[in-house]
Amino acid sequence: METALSPAFAAFLRNARPELNARFAEARRMRPDLDGDAFAAFLRDTADPLVAAVAAVSPERAADVARAAFELGLELVGQGLAGPAAREPAVEAGWRQVAPAVASLVAAEPERVLAAIGNALHRLASTPGARPAEWLAAMEQLGPRCADANAFLALGQVAAWRAGMAHYRAGALAAADALPPALAMAALRAAGDGWGEVRGWLAADPWYDPSALARPGGPRVVARAGAFRGFGGLFVEPPVATAAGDHFIVRSGDDGWLLTADAFGATFHRATDAERARRGPSIIPPGVTARGTTVEVNGARLDVPEIGEIAGVAAAGRTLALTSAWTHAVILVALG
Amino acid sequence: MGLLDALQRVSQSPTNPHAPAAPRTFDVAELYRGPLAAPADGAQAAGPPLDEKLRQAYFWIVNTAIISPHYDVEFNDGPPQSFTLGDSKSRLTLPSAQSYSSFVLLPLLTFATRRKCLFVGGPGRGKTASALLMGVLAGYPVREVRRAMQHGHPQMTVADLLGNPLPADLVAAQRIEDIRIAWRSWLGMRVKIIDEYNRIPTRTQSALLTVMGDNYAEILDHVYECPEAAWYLTANDETGGGTYPVIEALRDRIDVIVQALSFNPRFMADLLARIEANVRPEEVVPRQIVFTEAEVDRLQDEIRAVPVPGDVGRRLEFFASQFEFCEVAAEQWEYKTKDTARLAGADWNALTALESGRDRLKDLGCQSRNGLSVRVLQTLFIYAKALAFFRGNRVVELEDLRQVLPFVLHDKLLPDLDAPFFTTPGNEVFRTDRVGWLRRVFDLSCADYERLDLDRDDPVSTLAAEFRRGLGGVTEAETRARLVAIERLVTEWSRGRKLYGHLYDDLLVLKYLHQRYTNYLRWLKTQ
Repeated sequence: METALSPAFAAFLRNARPELNARFAEARRMRPDLDGDAFAAFLRDTADPLVAAVAAVSPERAADVARAAFELGLELVGQGLAGPAAREPAVEAGWRQVAPAVASLVAAEPERVLAAIGNALHRLASTPGARPAEWLAAMEQLGPRCADANAFLALGQVAAWRAGMAHYRAGALAAADALPPALAMAALRAAGDGWGEVRGWLAADPWYDPSALARPGGPRVVARAGAFRGFGGLFVEPPVATAAGDHFIVRSGDDGWLLTADAFGATFHRATDAERARRGPSIIPPGVTARGTTVEVNGARLDVPEIGEIAGVAAAGRTLALTSAWTHAVILVALG
Repeated sequence: MGLLDALQRVSQSPTNPHAPAAPRTFDVAELYRGPLAAPADGAQAAGPPLDEKLRQAYFWIVNTAIISPHYDVEFNDGPPQSFTLGDSKSRLTLPSAQSYSSFVLLPLLTFATRRKCLFVGGPGRGKTASALLMGVLAGYPVREVRRAMQHGHPQMTVADLLGNPLPADLVAAQRIEDIRIAWRSWLGMRVKIIDEYNRIPTRTQSALLTVMGDNYAEILDHVYECPEAAWYLTANDETGGGTYPVIEALRDRIDVIVQALSFNPRFMADLLARIEANVRPEEVVPRQIVFTEAEVDRLQDEIRAVPVPGDVGRRLEFFASQFEFCEVAAEQWEYKTKDTARLAGADWNALTALESGRDRLKDLGCQSRNGLSVRVLQTLFIYAKALAFFRGNRVVELEDLRQVLPFVLHDKLLPDLDAPFFTTPGNEVFRTDRVGWLRRVFDLSCADYERLDLDRDDPVSTLAAEFRRGLGGVTEAETRARLVAIERLVTEWSRGRKLYGHLYDDLLVLKYLHQRYTNYLRWLKTQ
């Protein structure tokens, strides 16, 4: 196996063999399920290309990166997040796709950058509604434009928002301010206009999509969030929504979820007991009515026959959540 | 980063999550928190709140360092599952809320409050290892903690314990203050460990008492002021099985006693893995759970600030009232206490034989040979606050008090094993189970409190609250009315009611109030 490895990684493994063997034995003691073959596969398929990429740009940092990859790899494989039988392939994919693309940043701060990539993908993959593949693609493409690890991490935050993590909206917007405007625009796939103007629209309207050429007006269906559990969704029965600040609490059976949504996506978070206990009628803005299968906003009508008769309406900020007995999704309507 | 040590993993998620009171907010920095430990950034470097850090330390110890699968400090947030097993109908409870192992929890609370904890139990059960861990939590290197640990032995002298005068000075000095003392380094540590303290000779125990009780050491008129410290003592048998009997004052200085429970052979594999890996937990304590001196200072402040609600404090008052009263110990009211009998050297059995009229089974005071000291009550409050803080609560709950009580009173409230309670069928087990007995007697006291409906109908509390509002502006007529109210209450209580400990204390309060009003009335007449 060793002959197939890159010279830099092979040299590291050879030089530190007793220490690395002891580390593996120690890790296995804590995690008896740590599979030696899976870890070897991780080293060969993931760590080695990364070390080779780093050796190409900073040969003197290759050993440090190899050590960091070894240590973090023990954790990932031990937790079933990397290796051939990984339960979340996205985490290792990040190390294979993104990390080599930003080899100079990894060389400078290996633990920080590698852990950030792994943790971000783990979080994206475990957040219902988020799109880790989109984050991977964006970071692989734009990561090399970052001057240092701080910029890379800020870019990752903006890209996570763009990949559906709507609940990070406020923080990601602030992170985007720290990036060069062109990079911020690229991360949000913003078309035309300058960053200042795009930022203004983003701050004002959660349903503003910077990649769209035109800004639609009037009430419109902007998202269908959630699905029947039997089809991989969260809900065991048609949900009911109530407003909670800028978000919604969605109840289905005995479960409760906090729904956050904007133009980039909708994510569900397990509701706390206090949130689940919150009851009471939602306040619908003046000028908004829902009757039958139709929503009317200041005279503008929106028909949603596909969900049948609207059974519940809740309003949070510029968003209306519609639920019905016919669907396990929450229909989100932008109020224009 | 250093080596990512699996042993050094600390619980990342909140160890005892509480529902947030405010609307949910999301921090984009969460994106980079996950299964992989990374170097702390600025925000993380500030560290978690101290209660969370304390819980992280607890869970690291129970999950990684000490094999202690005993959850004897039980909490429930709903009805627990309970099962009866065996011929003696032993009850096994599966708690419905996060519960803890006293062998780890109490030492940790001792660390947080800088009190004194005694580990008891057979040899080789982890007593010394636990104490060592506490030293490491305080930031000392393992080697330093080991070296500073004092091992009790029958030849231990005061000089062994405290230090020596420098020999050259002993010869050359003209005045005693010219003799320099080489103090032992352990005196300056914030975690002090005395191994097998019941093997220390009596005279050396007295020197130890000064350090433990008054926080200074003295040799040849030279005084060494010790810093505030958490103390850990170990004993294979705290009830007199050591080489020397432990002097009572020294025992009294110990705040909590925890028992090292037996090793469960089902965990043999963990033990074997530890042997094979040759890893000592105290050598790999994660830095995230090491407390600085300032943090422990802050811990103490934050623990002290946890309030005890009135109804919880009142139940402890009622419980504490049960034990000191001894009707036949004296003629004068104030001296009708067990302490009076003890000071007189009275024969306990002869004294209890004189008791008549009261239901000795119902009277909780009959179960003990002594009462509770002020120091013990203070300790109870401190540990109850510490437990509430540890659990992330903002106020002390009755259950916090109930759970720490047996460990604080373990050696302080002495059972009278000849009392009818201990011979009642079902209660024989309490002759050996001190923790169980103390919990039971507290439960019985609380049940009695509920039965008497003292939360709603407590005339003494009402009268005392009235007095605490101050005497300014209280007229002569009003004073007389209050005096009459007190006398009327005493008259009512004197009509055929049996005397119990709580009534005795209440009557002392009434006498106190009566005296204060009498003095005030006299002063009013001179105006």
